[in-house]
Amino acid sequence: METIKDALDFRDFSKAERIGLILFTIFLLAFPWIGTGSFVKAVMIQFLLFSLFGMGWNTIGGYGGQVELGKAQYVGIGAYTVSLMMVWWKIPFWVSMPIGVLIAIGYSFIIGYPLFRLKGHYFAIATICTSLVLQDIFINWKLVGAAKGIELPIHEHPDFLYMQFKSDTYYYYFIMVFFYVALFYMNRFRKSKLGYQLRMIKDDEEAAESLGIDARWCKIKAYTIASAFVAVGGGFMAVYNLYIDPYSVMDLDLSIKIALMAMLGGAASLWGPIIGAAFLVPLDRFLGSWLGGYKGLIGVDFMIYAMLIMAVSAYQPRGIWGIIEQFRRKGK
Amino acid sequence: MIKDRGFFLSFLIMLLSLFIISTSLYAEEKEIKIGVLYPLSGAAATIGRDLQRAAELTAEIINNKTPGVDIPMAQWGGIPNLGGAKIKLIFVDHRGEPDRGADLAKRLILDDKVVGLMGAYHSSVTKTVSAVAERYGIPMINDSSTSPELTKRGLKWFWRTTPHDDYFNKDLFELLKGLTEGKVKGVKAVPKSQIKNLAYACENTEWGSNVAKSLEAYAKEYGFNIVKGILYTANSPDLTSEAKTLTTAKPDAMLFASYLSDSLLMIRTLKSMKASPRFFWGQDAGFEMADFTKTLGTDTNGVLTRTVFIAKIANVKKVAGQVNALYKKKYGDDLTGATARSIVGVQAWAYVLNKAGSIDRKAIQKACNEINIPANELVMPWAGVKFDATGQNILGRGLIGQYQKTKEGKIDLEIIYPFDLATANMIYPFPGWK
Amino acid sequence: MMILDALLQGILMGLLFALVALGLNVIFGVMDIVNFAHGEFLMIGMYTTYWTSVLLDIDPLFTLPVAALVGILLGLASYYGLIKYLLRGPAIAQLFGTFGLMLFLRYLAQFLFGIDYRIIQKGVLIGKSLSLGPFIFDWTKIAAAALSLLSFGFVYYFLHKTKLGKALRATSINKEAASYMGIQTDQMNAIAWAIGGGTVGIAGGLLANFYYVYPTVGLLFVMIAFACVAMGGFGSIKGVFFAGILIGIIEMLFPVFGQQIGWEFLGPHFKFTLVYLAYFIIVVVRPQGLFGWKQ
Repeated sequence: METIKDALDFRDFSKAERIGLILFTIFLLAFPWIGTGSFVKAVMIQFLLFSLFGMGWNTIGGYGGQVELGKAQYVGIGAYTVSLMMVWWKIPFWVSMPIGVLIAIGYSFIIGYPLFRLKGHYFAIATICTSLVLQDIFINWKLVGAAKGIELPIHEHPDFLYMQFKSDTYYYYFIMVFFYVALFYMNRFRKSKLGYQLRMIKDDEEAAESLGIDARWCKIKAYTIASAFVAVGGGFMAVYNLYIDPYSVMDLDLSIKIALMAMLGGAASLWGPIIGAAFLVPLDRFLGSWLGGYKGLIGVDFMIYAMLIMAVSAYQPRGIWGIIEQFRRKGK
Repeated sequence: MIKDRGFFLSFLIMLLSLFIISTSLYAEEKEIKIGVLYPLSGAAATIGRDLQRAAELTAEIINNKTPGVDIPMAQWGGIPNLGGAKIKLIFVDHRGEPDRGADLAKRLILDDKVVGLMGAYHSSVTKTVSAVAERYGIPMINDSSTSPELTKRGLKWFWRTTPHDDYFNKDLFELLKGLTEGKVKGVKAVPKSQIKNLAYACENTEWGSNVAKSLEAYAKEYGFNIVKGILYTANSPDLTSEAKTLTTAKPDAMLFASYLSDSLLMIRTLKSMKASPRFFWGQDAGFEMADFTKTLGTDTNGVLTRTVFIAKIANVKKVAGQVNALYKKKYGDDLTGATARSIVGVQAWAYVLNKAGSIDRKAIQKACNEINIPANELVMPWAGVKFDATGQNILGRGLIGQYQKTKEGKIDLEIIYPFDLATANMIYPFPGWK
Repeated sequence: MMILDALLQGILMGLLFALVALGLNVIFGVMDIVNFAHGEFLMIGMYTTYWTSVLLDIDPLFTLPVAALVGILLGLASYYGLIKYLLRGPAIAQLFGTFGLMLFLRYLAQFLFGIDYRIIQKGVLIGKSLSLGPFIFDWTKIAAAALSLLSFGFVYYFLHKTKLGKALRATSINKEAASYMGIQTDQMNAIAWAIGGGTVGIAGGLLANFYYVYPTVGLLFVMIAFACVAMGGFGSIKGVFFAGILIGIIEMLFPVFGQQIGWEFLGPHFKFTLVYLAYFIIVVVRPQGLFGWKQ
């Protein structure tokens, strides 16, 4: 009870932020009824999904300050667990998704234990390597469909057990629920003991250890939490796309995108990953959708995207949220 | 006076906007939108560009009366049974990403309100796109994905014009068998012991691994011996160990399923190892693209590729030559298997719409199931376009071509198989790289 | 025999991997930045060689100075245009800054040069092989390996014997102490980027002799270069040299070995998986890499 209260407690934020959160919630609830097109809705689903990923990444990458670039392997674990259990044993989403999360947690302990012997860039590259190794194994593992991937059987609309719907509106509210659970969890996390310990480790690891904090164990815990978040998103991706393959759910690109969005929005802040996703997902999808079909403009969408990334990381390393805070401070 | 002018101006604006609205309404009535998903950027951008060009050219042929092309649709100037409505292709770029393809398919169906879909080249993207089409009950004609599984999923809104990989692999073994029986033009019967040992290297995504599986099965059926089979990663910076494994097995025939970049690297590497098989065959994709010969030049002399279209078909098929000439005039390249398939895809759409006589999706579904495009109206050497219950075109067939060096030192693609369409003597054994 | 052959081929390829990674390592050693755009530097080096050799009709081997020059200029431009500003931020912001640069250069190349694959057809060494008994070596690869050795020798000499190089190494060991000694860090950083760009430009020029040129070609090499640098130890020239050779041997030897004893899972499709796995195991056992001194 106390935990839930704590999770819903946003009192330490400024008034503007709290009002913003309420307005944002109303907007999200009302969004499918505003009458925008379906592509916009699909983009909104991507936005919520990547916010979820980003919030997960934020525990280890933001608060923990570790350059983690291998989150895609956990997306893959979540997605594959849900798909395989459905295809092999017809197990509903609500059973297979938690199992997927448990597998992700177990795997992240196994990987995390040796991984956190490493620091800095060694760690960053090692996370990429583990993700690539797992992807290669899945590409060649015949039992799980190898490179062909897995196609989920299409069920009658609406199916709340297997979470299959005809209309995106259902999926939209479905992922929105996860989004808010994640948001409340993160709100508690940032005030928790682990949250403070991580920030201390980030500032000065040796000092933190001299205070009796087991840095490696803290990092492993945060890494595990991040993996669990990401695995939930992976499970959603499986039922949403109805088709997964190692290239779409385990790719290095996906890992980088997750970290990039959280970082660009503002790592180590509650709103950062959400802002990052709100900024980059539409940019990526709309630019690609508008410019992609025109001849002579191939690649221009990427160039615009790249220039924005460079500009933000050069101008304010704390991301878009850093820029907003900078202006607020100036305003006062 | 000033007041009057204001009134006049606003009246003019009103008139103008009315005019714009009415024309756009009018245009909308006379336009049938088809959504086309191709990989226009990213690693497969080269092929996406070619596919888009071919599709656009076909739409132009249908929408405007085109003299000099002996297909009825060239004289239509729009879809006749729909009051001369024009086909409008809306291209989107899925970059080879299945989830992006699915999102774009939703955009096309719900926002752009397309009548149907076409695409998407990558079998994996076609999977998600066709799942979306199925969910919304929108017809999709697939022109260029060759994974056999696509039509084995029991979809009701999915049709495929191109033959799939199982057909093509069978063609290869028919050719090998033909070699031993002396059926190949310009080659005396080869003793089977000379061509018995095969080795393949296939890239390890869905497409390549399927090809590998089917090659194994057919080898057994036709009594050939696979001495070595490897799967490899297409985006690998180095293929030396793959090439090494192939050459040390000393096969009589080397078979490949490769995309463009890895096929270029593979041939370069094999050349440096002085590999000398008697028979060198590639399964479409990389091997039949215009860029393949453009970049490798005369190194391709003697290489065989399976495809569905070869410009030399003009010798036996007039319409193929006419359309190819149009394409070449516009873009400077001959049509290839991939681009010709895109032409047939758009053509199939036009015929289906004409037969349906309406843009109601149920009518289109019915028309798709009943369509029968006669052979002489296709650029392809097929017996026609007619779908079976799974949505697969049962009248398609593949070709096997060979790159041959002409006297001027240029490279031509000659038809070797089917034997009745052969345009040149086959170069056998494979000359190697000297 | 097969094994020996694979070993030799692996060393040849490994030397090239090492050369590609060398620039990355120099930059890292001096200023603790992992340059994601490194693969794109390589790609631009390849395009430079391609265009100079095709347009001016000269042998691709003689275009190497041009490729090196373009690489140096590119390194300097990147440093003064972007990297300098990134230094204020934490490691992750730096990483994504260079990631942005990577995307930008890649799609700029796609925009400028189009999406056609290109291969250099003419050149003294192109398409020629050296037969030594049962072994066949590609002349272009031998040349690449030789020039890689030369570049390593030059960079090693520069860093250890010249005054400027010593200043550079001092900066990499302790930035603050170096600046007290009157070494200008800014200048040192720029020099590191120039060396990094120059060596990778040469690597690109050599690669273009036997590789196709395409806007996304850098992608194939950059992960190998990362693994190479990290395996050898960030900032260690010796480390990157031996790690490169080790990677070359792993990717060449294991598939051949696996085929001989009939182990399916060691096949060619797993060769780079094995490289990444090897990296993981090495750094878990030795967290500073093979020859690294700082964690």
